[in-house]
Amino acid sequence: MKIVGVAACTAGIAHTYIAREKLVKSAELRGHKISCETQGNIGIEDELDQKDIAEADVVILAIDVAIDKTERFKGKKIIKVDTSTLIKNPIGFIQKVEQVIQK
Amino acid sequence: MKDIINFKDLKRHILTGISYFIPLVVGAGLTMAIGRVLAGQAVANLGESGIGYWMFQTGSLGMQMMTPVLCAYIAFSVSGKVALAPGFIIGWLAHNINTGFIGGMVGGILVGVVVNLCRKYIKLPKTLEALRGMLLIPFLATAISGLLMFAVIKGPIVWLMAQLTQFLQSLSSGSKFIYGGALGAMATFDFGGPVNKTATAFANALYAEGIRDAKTVQIIASMIQPLGIGLSCLLTRNKYTRQEKETLKAASIMGCFMISEGVIPIAARDLARVVTACVCGSFVAGGMSMMWGNSSELLNGGFIAFPFFSSPTHGLISLAVGVVITAVVLSIIKKPVTEADENRGEDLGQELSDQDLSDIQIEIM
Repeated sequence: MKIVGVAACTAGIAHTYIAREKLVKSAELRGHKISCETQGNIGIEDELDQKDIAEADVVILAIDVAIDKTERFKGKKIIKVDTSTLIKNPIGFIQKVEQVIQK
Repeated sequence: MKDIINFKDLKRHILTGISYFIPLVVGAGLTMAIGRVLAGQAVANLGESGIGYWMFQTGSLGMQMMTPVLCAYIAFSVSGKVALAPGFIIGWLAHNINTGFIGGMVGGILVGVVVNLCRKYIKLPKTLEALRGMLLIPFLATAISGLLMFAVIKGPIVWLMAQLTQFLQSLSSGSKFIYGGALGAMATFDFGGPVNKTATAFANALYAEGIRDAKTVQIIASMIQPLGIGLSCLLTRNKYTRQEKETLKAASIMGCFMISEGVIPIAARDLARVVTACVCGSFVAGGMSMMWGNSSELLNGGFIAFPFFSSPTHGLISLAVGVVITAVVLSIIKKPVTEADENRGEDLGQELSDQDLSDIQIEIM
């Protein structure tokens, strides 16, 4: 699968970046292609490529707060999850995404 | 109902407001504090010009934006950009009718709901569509929410805060210790999670009412996690992995400024023990601080806030006691690091059976 993701937590200092790292590592471990941006307290970093978004099978929002630029994902399949749920078991989460998308 | 407001998302809306509110409190609070230090005397004697006065004035005006910013971004989270302007207005209103932080949170949700209602029920011919976003929604959302704030929401909140204030002032010093302890424990219990955020909202609401001892407890408690774990690492170095020792160097420095996120990886490896130790330390420290009635002028800042406590010495004593308790408890209950711990890579969890997969909560949109 091709995945794009956004990670954002309340303070935008720690969980945002932990979530991104775990999401990317576990998705790659399960053989997916992923790019993920962070919306921390200093704004958007590693901003998603418009082309990647267009090609993605699913958009994963690992967020605890409202995020910017959601209009980019219009018409895409979006899965939203709390950063804490993702961080607890990233592999399990990706598995769940696979299950949902295949249905 | 769900397109007006989804109650499952309430937490996300409030957290969005808080995430925009944190930098404001830090920026304005520190500017105000440093202005006061530069002036070197009581605010009344600051005069009307000079760097000290200018900085103090900038910061204290900024602090008044606290409720408007909170309110506006909660409204923004509920119903997007068009809710921002009415949100700022209603937040400023909440500030001025003394409903403070709570009024700001309720007001933000209210504005969001009104905007969503307008969006749903006001239908205009296509040619006049522009009028809706430019004129009707900003006007209606502001006017309706303003009327409701005065007529319905002000009364109960002011009453509730008065009851709470009275109750807190009537506490004996024994109950104060328990109350402060509970607040302190809540602040460290889940490293910035919902329990911590509840305590924060409570302390901020009291701060807006002029009761500033709860905030002191929070400032001290949030520093106990990184500093306590740091001290524990110095006491028993064999109980921390090489990587953790590296992490702790930065985490302890950040801890001096009340940023506790640095120790999350260490807590994650050994959650139960780390939380137990932090809760023990912060309970005692919070209790002591509350019993002494130590109040803080700043909402944030760690050690920078200490000179602005009503008693910096009491602040330092409570912090030191809390840090030492946390460190000693943690060093006693933590297990020495094994080779397996050192080698274990990053924990990415494991594959689950289909049945367990259904426990993972996600939302498909």
